[in-house]
Amino acid sequence: MKESLMDIICCPMDKHDLELEVDDRNDEEVLAGTLVCTECGERYPIEDGIPNLLPPDMRD
Amino acid sequence: MKGKEWYQADEIAEEYDAKRFSKGGQLIDHREKQAVLEALGDVRDKRVLEIACGTGRFTVMLAERGADIVGLDISSAMMAQGRQKAREAGVSDHIEFMRGDAARLPFPDNHFDSVFAMRFFHLADTPAKFLAEMARVSRNQVFFDTFNRFSTRSVYNWLLPMGSRLYARTEVERLLGDAGLVLAGEDHDFVLPYGFYREIPNGLAGQFRDLDATLRDSAIGEKLASVSYWDARVR
Repeated sequence: MKESLMDIICCPMDKHDLELEVDDRNDEEVLAGTLVCTECGERYPIEDGIPNLLPPDMRD
Repeated sequence: MKGKEWYQADEIAEEYDAKRFSKGGQLIDHREKQAVLEALGDVRDKRVLEIACGTGRFTVMLAERGADIVGLDISSAMMAQGRQKAREAGVSDHIEFMRGDAARLPFPDNHFDSVFAMRFFHLADTPAKFLAEMARVSRNQVFFDTFNRFSTRSVYNWLLPMGSRLYARTEVERLLGDAGLVLAGEDHDFVLPYGFYREIPNGLAGQFRDLDATLRDSAIGEKLASVSYWDARVR
């Protein structure tokens, strides 16, 4: 995901803003990291450049 | 394997496009793309969200036409294919793929110009929730297709390994009303169901498609059609 996506995505549970923690990136995008809800603290992983914004009850 | 697990398996994702869109399947693919392009119109610089984007065949097509687009799906294996397609098409800078739940979208209200879902509502267990959520994040258009209850699809459904939800016109109208949407356009097609087209060779597929179009354009065409495309607006 590109960092500009932060402007539009929000927590799927309470729709509050997310904070980005980057573990790995290239010139274009974030490849691995975590999105953290600033309100409820829920953590959403970014894997292979694809953010996983599935609510916790739907995750693998 | 249950439908959802089958859909998310890596090997299914890798073969998905080749299997589904060979032979007569190409005719279906072409018709669906035409339906999306006609409904969404000029997408240049528009914000578009695709629900259940799968391998991104519509997502990449719209990105190529200038849309600023997000594809959402439950399967990362499917979207890995989509990301590859986007790279090959050179549109990675205005396309994003993400995993998410269509009933709890990670977007604010009224963000997108258009939100659409193809081949999604027949697998939807809670269609009212999904449609309301699509309407919430759209400031203008919501577009989707359904398989029809009173059509050849009803027969074909008996043959399918997994359940498929069929809709009568009155059900669609009620769903739209409850989601705060109004119908702006509609189209009906495929008197012969998709499964039929997937099974026959390309040469014959064309002839049957012609016959299908003749039936569709007849006085009772809408009643016979197995697929409907619904173009709605936020009220």
